Amino acid sequence: MRSSSADPRPWQGAAWLGFALTAWLPLLPLLGGLFGAAVLLPFRDARLFGLFTRTLWISGGAALLAGALGLGTAVLATRTDAPLRRVAWVLLPLPLLLPPLVLAQAWYGLTGWTGPVTAMAALGLAHAPLPALLAARSLTRQLASAHEAALLCGPTLALRQMLRGALPATALGALFVFCLTAGDFAVPDYFSVQQPLFHVWGMEVFGHSRSGDSIGGVRAAAPLLALQLAVLLLALRLQRRLGELEVGRGRRPAPLPLRGASRHAAALALTVVLAVLVVAPLGRMLWETGAAGPLAPESWWTRSQDSFGQVFERARGDLLASLGHAGTAALLALLLAPWLAHGLLLLTARRRPALRLAGSALALASALPLLVPSVALGFAAIVLFDRPALRPFYDGPLFGSLLLGGRYLPIAVFLLLERMRTLPRSPEDAAVLCGFPYPRRVVRSRLAAQLGAVLLAAGLVGVFALRELDLKVLVSSLNHSAAVRYFNALHFARDGFVAAFGLVYAALLFLPVLLHQALTDRDRDR
Amino acid sequence: MPQSLLLLFAALGVLGCAREPDLVVYCSLDQDFAEPLIREFERETGLRVDAQFDVERNKTVGLVQRILAERDHPRADVFWNNELAHTIRLKQAGATAAHDSATGRTLPEAFRDPEGHWYAFAARARVVLYRTDRDDPHPKRLDAMLEPAMAARGGLAKPLTGTTLTNFAVLAELRGREAALDWLRRALDSDLTWGSGNADVMRKVAEGRLSWCFTDTDDAARAIDAGHPVAVEWLDQGPPGEGVLLIPNSICVLAGAPHPDAAARFVDWVLRPEVEARLAQSPSRQIPVRPEVPPPPGYGRPGRDFPVLSTFDWERVAASLEDRESDFRALFVR
Repeated sequence: MRSSSADPRPWQGAAWLGFALTAWLPLLPLLGGLFGAAVLLPFRDARLFGLFTRTLWISGGAALLAGALGLGTAVLATRTDAPLRRVAWVLLPLPLLLPPLVLAQAWYGLTGWTGPVTAMAALGLAHAPLPALLAARSLTRQLASAHEAALLCGPTLALRQMLRGALPATALGALFVFCLTAGDFAVPDYFSVQQPLFHVWGMEVFGHSRSGDSIGGVRAAAPLLALQLAVLLLALRLQRRLGELEVGRGRRPAPLPLRGASRHAAALALTVVLAVLVVAPLGRMLWETGAAGPLAPESWWTRSQDSFGQVFERARGDLLASLGHAGTAALLALLLAPWLAHGLLLLTARRRPALRLAGSALALASALPLLVPSVALGFAAIVLFDRPALRPFYDGPLFGSLLLGGRYLPIAVFLLLERMRTLPRSPEDAAVLCGFPYPRRVVRSRLAAQLGAVLLAAGLVGVFALRELDLKVLVSSLNHSAAVRYFNALHFARDGFVAAFGLVYAALLFLPVLLHQALTDRDRDR
Repeated sequence: MPQSLLLLFAALGVLGCAREPDLVVYCSLDQDFAEPLIREFERETGLRVDAQFDVERNKTVGLVQRILAERDHPRADVFWNNELAHTIRLKQAGATAAHDSATGRTLPEAFRDPEGHWYAFAARARVVLYRTDRDDPHPKRLDAMLEPAMAARGGLAKPLTGTTLTNFAVLAELRGREAALDWLRRALDSDLTWGSGNADVMRKVAEGRLSWCFTDTDDAARAIDAGHPVAVEWLDQGPPGEGVLLIPNSICVLAGAPHPDAAARFVDWVLRPEVEARLAQSPSRQIPVRPEVPPPPGYGRPGRDFPVLSTFDWERVAASLEDRESDFRALFVR
């Protein structure tokens, strides 16, 4: 007989209740605007159709660029003995820690390039670390024996086997890039400076959110949301099809030895990637901390010191508050995401088509909090929770952090679902037969082998919670944050402060990233 | 375990509650300048202020929409806006309350609401910032921007947000909607460079990518203070000789403010001439509207050193702002 502690339902119930309260409940006032004729808005006139198709190609192009760059870098950094691979692996997450607009400004400062292709490239470069990190995790988990068997048949087959294993993770990363960039209109707007001006659908959502009622913005976002859900559905199918490769905690695959020209080419490729993704934009930001005109009396060094001094003097409290919000959001992900991902895994792996369909529907519904524009989510939170009886909680530090956690939880859920799907089912089946309690069997058979992925998932939720801006302007307890101070300074052209703040911000966030890298390496070497 | 999780969440809920402040201020002024003033008010009065700040650079919807969304259960007491049209929009939407401010009454008549719903002070002017190290011409009147020789070397922000939106809404009020749209259509057909904000075009001039730009005095002050070879031209926006558009800060008590007494005290405190003088001497060089307050260094006094555009009605501009925003979006967002 099955023991009650082996029953997954109470655990699953508690996790989904937590998800419903933090992620779905705030969406309630928006549902009317999301589903309806607004989905067909892009076909109303030529202007709207043009905006929509341009969004498709800019975000699609950014996702493709990020995916290709990310996969290539991940292969070179994790599965070859190319020079600079360790440096690349360590520095790769840095661009992800900075707002894309700030990176776009650094790029414009360096090149002076504008136009839609530049916007696409800037978005792709800013987000490339996301697929790279997911692909790298997948590549390090592949079975050494399978890789070596493929290597015996020739390097081409080994490379194909390697790519096949990393593709689901890369596709997932590229999908996230598509979803994140499809709603970003600040970067395209920044590069749209000369005729013919170009904009994306997000600008329409922004315009409707500014004028009229808040639901107007949600209605305008409906076509984008439908598109993102369709892409997500495709990615889930792709994952199921490609994610059947057996991986585990066995011996780490030996790096591909590169000799002669291939070694030089790999070193050159990693140098270019590092220069483009990290050194150039961050170097430009460092220069901006003390940049001034020829008539400025102070030296670059004095101005730069002053900029960094202002950051520590004025923004310390906001930085700490932001780290608190992000830490709570990451903790929420750590607590809930493994169970939610496992629940989705159980449902989508069922043989009965009806249950599989229910699993897919639940997966899509789980993505909604991430895809809804955060402006709309902020207004919905005001409508639902800004009531005198709830005021102490609404104004308290926990409310905003939970809202941020709920919004970005889907990233952790889908990342862990992808990782769990690539693990063999047999250890969990054996644990079920032995009557292990449900939490123990999930931890032992699914999570223990993926400690790095669990931390990465929670870390990404924290990073995106830190980068979030719109919610922080609208939700009172989040307003005292680094993001608000940062963009306030950007708006009022305090460029030295902005650059210094960005660098301090990135350096602070980089510490846990380094810890994660160290843990991953330890995990790999065990 | 699920029960213990629920208990944990309940405990966190209790711990996550905030202590109520004595006053809530929504503020869209530069955080760096507003914060020290608010802290000073706290020290002087012993009141605890929760100041919430706005961000426009990344295209957020902002505090005005938030005030409207919170109207059923207001949580803010005061809105300190860095421009005027949206404050009047709030009054027209019934979101502000009347307050007879003793210090506000010392402001010139044109800068206060007769019913006491808003007070305006410390303005930014819409100006042309140009490079002094080049021989390129720069416009001295708004219409001159469209001349091919000017347009090829100059730029302005898209009129979709901020003071540029307000500026072109004023133009529509002065010349009529069709004339303003026609001006923008001709501007779109010219070689003008468009920025996503005033600071963007200012940077392009400072870096030498453009010879001139249409921007605000606070952005211009940044470029001057950073040692770039640039100067300000007071741009005539109306018929020749009519003057420069001033966009003042504004402050109002919000309808249903939870702390009305503290709100009134704060508004009176901010409207003192000393605060206007401090903002004038700050790096943003806000231009005082009171004739007795010394102007910012190098900027002169409105009305005496440069003419001020005054032949339009702010109430009508505010009432038309949403429609103009929609018109301009249809023209620019494509």
